[in-house]
Amino acid sequence: MDKQKLEYFKQYSEIIPNFDAFMESLEKEQPYWMRVNTLKIGEEELIERLENKGFKLEKYKNLNAYKIVVMPVKHPGATVEHSLGYYYIQDLSSMAPVLALNPQRGEKILDMAAAPGSKTTMIAELMREGTIVANDVNFNRLKSLGGNLERLGITNVIITKKDAKSGNFGIKFDKILLDAPCSGEGTIRKNPWGFRFVEDREHKMLARNQKIMLKNASKHLKNGGIIVYSTCTFNPWENESVVEYGIENLGLKPIHFDLPIPHLKGVEEWRGERYENSEYYKRIYPHLEDTGGMFIAVLKKE
Amino acid sequence: MQFLKKNDYGKYFVNRFGIPEEIIEQYTFWVRGKRVWAFSGEFIDVKDIEVLGIKALSLGRTPKPSTAFLRVIGKYAKKNVVNLDKEKALKFLKGEDIEGNFDVEQGYVIVKSNNDILGCGLYKGSLINQIPKKYRYEDTWL
Repeated sequence: MDKQKLEYFKQYSEIIPNFDAFMESLEKEQPYWMRVNTLKIGEEELIERLENKGFKLEKYKNLNAYKIVVMPVKHPGATVEHSLGYYYIQDLSSMAPVLALNPQRGEKILDMAAAPGSKTTMIAELMREGTIVANDVNFNRLKSLGGNLERLGITNVIITKKDAKSGNFGIKFDKILLDAPCSGEGTIRKNPWGFRFVEDREHKMLARNQKIMLKNASKHLKNGGIIVYSTCTFNPWENESVVEYGIENLGLKPIHFDLPIPHLKGVEEWRGERYENSEYYKRIYPHLEDTGGMFIAVLKKE
Repeated sequence: MQFLKKNDYGKYFVNRFGIPEEIIEQYTFWVRGKRVWAFSGEFIDVKDIEVLGIKALSLGRTPKPSTAFLRVIGKYAKKNVVNLDKEKALKFLKGEDIEGNFDVEQGYVIVKSNNDILGCGLYKGSLINQIPKKYRYEDTWL
């Protein structure tokens, strides 16, 4: 990775613990992770099939998450089994917001910025039965969401194309996932060529939109329901600052949640802003488990 | 264009493939234009629905089942199923037609290989490939 890109991340040296290890991790190629689509096939059966083809896969703890250690093809999706919808390539960090959402059978769940569908398909796989409204504003991204649902054989999803900032979804939901559009700093290892330098002004503009989305999410949440707010970026303006806005202005309360993926707590202070509830939030960094980056908070409406 | 609920289309899968009714009853069927969608959730009246479940049938002179939905329910089928060996299955996934006589009725059939439901075929004395291009096997795959 070129030095200019690495230089960009030095702005976070005071908020990311073990910063040298963090910087080293950015220079390493990120391994692929996958999840078995147990709506179509059992974990053991698929793993055996892929290993017979020359894959080497490591199961992560007791999760349906496998690190691809060796793959005999250029891309981990270049198999018959992938085409048949038996598995989904998804980074371990990207599974974390869905684990925090903890979908249950029969729930109504809104995924406000769903495309291309990694988290929607994981919600469907975990809940088995129930209803998901998967929304995205971008038509091309919606096509990939639809394609993934079709490939994985997921039949309980309603797709809508609305602006998450203002869209009316008609009802109140049990749970809402707001995996908000963000500056994507945590995906630099996966997609180094797509990385762009984001200036403060743009972080603040993204944060403004994220707050409006959180406000709209709050409007569509049942009393007692939860919103999982997540991004794949490190900047506190897009993370802690947005969530604290929800706590102070939207009647949302942060709650503690378990996450079986290594993480650290939220940031306490950034450029003069103090975040009172940082112990409730979780941050996944690339150097903790060789993944991408992710921020996750769970907010309850009372 | 709105989705209209027409559960009668579920009977197609019962009659043509012998899918048990209790499996089909897990879905509601919705028509929009010339397509029928199968949905297993609880309908929510969200305005401007783009997609409801997954495409199950295309309507024409005779209904054509989608490969995607057959891959979901095909394991329950009791008739009009063609089981291919591994070599022929790969040819079929590549988009090729398969010569040979199969013990099925003329018309759309479910094509499988062991427990893998490959998708839709059209049997007219030989097996005409109906696998959409996006699902076709490429030479660089394993």
